[in-house]
Amino acid sequence: MFGLLTRNSADLNACGIDDRTLVSECRYVVLDTELTGLEVKKDSIVSIGAVAMTGGSIHIGETFYRLVSPETEMRGSSVVVHGITPSEVADKPSIAQTMDELLKFCEGSVVVGHFLSLDLKFLNKEMKRLSGREFPGPAVDTFRIHEWIREHDGSFSTHYNGMVRDTDLFTMAKRYHIQVSAAHNALMDAFVTAQLFQRFLSFLPSLGVPTVKDLLRIGKP
Amino acid sequence: MVIDDVIKFFQEIPPFQFLEARELRSIAEKVSMEFYPKGTVILRQDDPASDALRVIKKGGVKVSVRSEDGQEVIIDHRGEGDTFGLMSLIGKDEKQKTTVIAIEDTICYLMKKSQVLPVIETNPAFTEYFLQFHFSKYVDKTSRDMHAKSLFYGSSDHLLFTTPVGDIATKDVVTVTQDASIQEAAQEMSRNRISSLIIVDDNGLPVGIVTDRDLREKVVSRGRDVTDMVKDIMTLPMIRVDVKDYCFEAVLKMIKHNIHHILVIKDGRLKGVLTNHDLMMLQGTSPLSFAKDLESQQSVEGLVPVSTKINRVVGLLLKEGAKASNITKIIAELNDRLVRKVLEIAEAKFGKPPVPYCWISFGSEGRKEQTFKTDQDNAIIHGDTDSPALADQAKRYFAAFSLFVRDGLVRCGFPHCPADYMASNPRWCQPLSVWKQYFTSWVHTPNPEAVLRSLIFFDFRMLHGDERLAAELRSHLGSILKGQNIFLAQMAGVVIKNRPPLGFFKKFIVEKDGEHKNELNLKFRGIGPLVDIVRLFALESGVSETSTLERIEAMKGKHPSIDSSGDELAQAFEFITLLRIHHQVEQIEKGEEPDNFINPTRLSNLEKRILKESFQVISLLQDGLSDQYGPGMVGG
Repeated sequence: MFGLLTRNSADLNACGIDDRTLVSECRYVVLDTELTGLEVKKDSIVSIGAVAMTGGSIHIGETFYRLVSPETEMRGSSVVVHGITPSEVADKPSIAQTMDELLKFCEGSVVVGHFLSLDLKFLNKEMKRLSGREFPGPAVDTFRIHEWIREHDGSFSTHYNGMVRDTDLFTMAKRYHIQVSAAHNALMDAFVTAQLFQRFLSFLPSLGVPTVKDLLRIGKP
Repeated sequence: MVIDDVIKFFQEIPPFQFLEARELRSIAEKVSMEFYPKGTVILRQDDPASDALRVIKKGGVKVSVRSEDGQEVIIDHRGEGDTFGLMSLIGKDEKQKTTVIAIEDTICYLMKKSQVLPVIETNPAFTEYFLQFHFSKYVDKTSRDMHAKSLFYGSSDHLLFTTPVGDIATKDVVTVTQDASIQEAAQEMSRNRISSLIIVDDNGLPVGIVTDRDLREKVVSRGRDVTDMVKDIMTLPMIRVDVKDYCFEAVLKMIKHNIHHILVIKDGRLKGVLTNHDLMMLQGTSPLSFAKDLESQQSVEGLVPVSTKINRVVGLLLKEGAKASNITKIIAELNDRLVRKVLEIAEAKFGKPPVPYCWISFGSEGRKEQTFKTDQDNAIIHGDTDSPALADQAKRYFAAFSLFVRDGLVRCGFPHCPADYMASNPRWCQPLSVWKQYFTSWVHTPNPEAVLRSLIFFDFRMLHGDERLAAELRSHLGSILKGQNIFLAQMAGVVIKNRPPLGFFKKFIVEKDGEHKNELNLKFRGIGPLVDIVRLFALESGVSETSTLERIEAMKGKHPSIDSSGDELAQAFEFITLLRIHHQVEQIEKGEEPDNFINPTRLSNLEKRILKESFQVISLLQDGLSDQYGPGMVGG
């Protein structure tokens, strides 16, 4: 049907964001999910964390964090990663209720994530099952933005004495001097991603990426 | 999670650390976090004022202003834990007054005025901190910090919140009528030594106010004709408070309207004027009832229990938020009374002295700058006599007398002076003529020992007895010092040798090893050099006061270095002294022996910065001395 670019633009209008909005003034929701595993068919979401931003300003108190009672069985291998045990989530609300709250939190915002396509796959799966639609809204991926900056510009690289080739969130965070306290909690990871995005944002306007339209072009997941 | 880190960060930082956990959380929830790469102009002068307070989480900024001739002048560097944009929260400035640039990658927490103001307004500790910051810069506030940490905080003894304006406002208001000229108004102000004047109409009702600032900004700097009417330059409308309002409300209004004088109204009539200065003075005095206790004692035995109370008073004063200079003044007053009492007891025991005498104290006692009981530093000047028999009798009398006093003082908690600078040492119990010879020879032959003696003895102060003897010695000193540049240069050489412990890049220099590893000595490396400089200035300008702050005050208008940095010097002295007293009280409360060593890493960010600034003032003046006395100056 639509390519990703057009989908993004259509979403912009649908959620009421003017694509001429400056990247320094747009509202963003930076999001991360923890999963039972990486296979969309077999696995499902265990927790969702998100933090709101306006331009480069991270709103510390405006966060979203929910544990979800997973639709599929939790596997030992993933429990090790995120540290959430089956008994912890057994009595949590289902994804249906959580999804409503998340949609509300993301209203009027561009969704941001690191390797967001994976999170979106799972969110879309749940959305489709629940409402027949995809997870709405324009979205950008910090991993993509990083790639784009690395290919197109020298000033960011100069500022940080070079850029990393690794794509892992925590390697990047370390390289760009972002403090990481508790890894692999969806909210903390979203917060780290937000800071990574914040680093990029402060350089983007001078790199020819002044508006949300431009941002969506370079950062599509 | 995310927010807990923010709360943890704010718990370490004044004024946020004064907030309760619940309030801190409600503030943290509204905080946002921004990142500025090195070189970012965060705030720009003359832009609309920022609507947020920024707290530096990581990195650093420089604050600068553009002078009238277009030059950027850096006025401050701020680092982790420091704030900027403070006044935007409570002030009413519409334009940004400074430019703030990130000098490294900087992360700030931001608090929007609209979100945080309600919390601030309902929180006295917070508000007061800001007020203090505004009108008395650092020194008084730090005593307030310490105050905040004490148990007394939060009780009703908060002077700003409990004192009605009417209690401290200047009551005799000086006024002129509307037809007065600028010059007449200024003359009236000079005559009354006041910084503001009220202009009244024919019914005596106030219509405007003129302050020093108006004269500066509207008359002198614009070359305005002084025969113009004063009403043309007066400020309208006048901000007023009621006599029954608490001082705190007056301060709020002063800040809001950016003024330093406020009218005090009672029943619709002008009752007085309240100034910044009045408010600062509010933090001083404390009645001391047990001085009476002291007076009623008739024996050394009876004095001992009373004297032990003095240490306790210090802790109390500190907790009440008293200024350092007031604390030391009160200690001096109490110790003086104690010593006088011992002398009276001795006089009663030994009978009337054969010749008149004067008991003097010197060193920190002479300067009224003792914190806790320090060594005895005292001497006797007695009258001269032509009769050898009488001289001999005096010698024997004062020998026994001074021994008794020495031992009595030891029992009251003043230890022996290790260098034996005591009246019980025959060398320091001499007739006036011998004292004059001592002083003359030290000044004329300024070898290292003589300079050292001068540093100690020239701070002498008469404590008891015939004051004419001390006065004559003081005036003798004044006359022999005239034109003695070699002596002063020698003294300057000694003074500049003891540099404050501040290294390159403004890092504190601490002890490298030993018992006090990583600590610095506030007395010898901070207060010492400061006192020495001020003493040298006092000798240069011939003022006879002996206490450091009184010397600074007395030298205003007489000594160029004091005119340029006297206030900073006084603040530095207050601050270091306060830090020292606070440290010692803490030790005493823990049951330890008080000393002068502090570990600078244990200070709050604010305290560190003020201490650095204080040391810098001293350093700069020492550099000035090097220039002044030049290469010919050879150290002692």
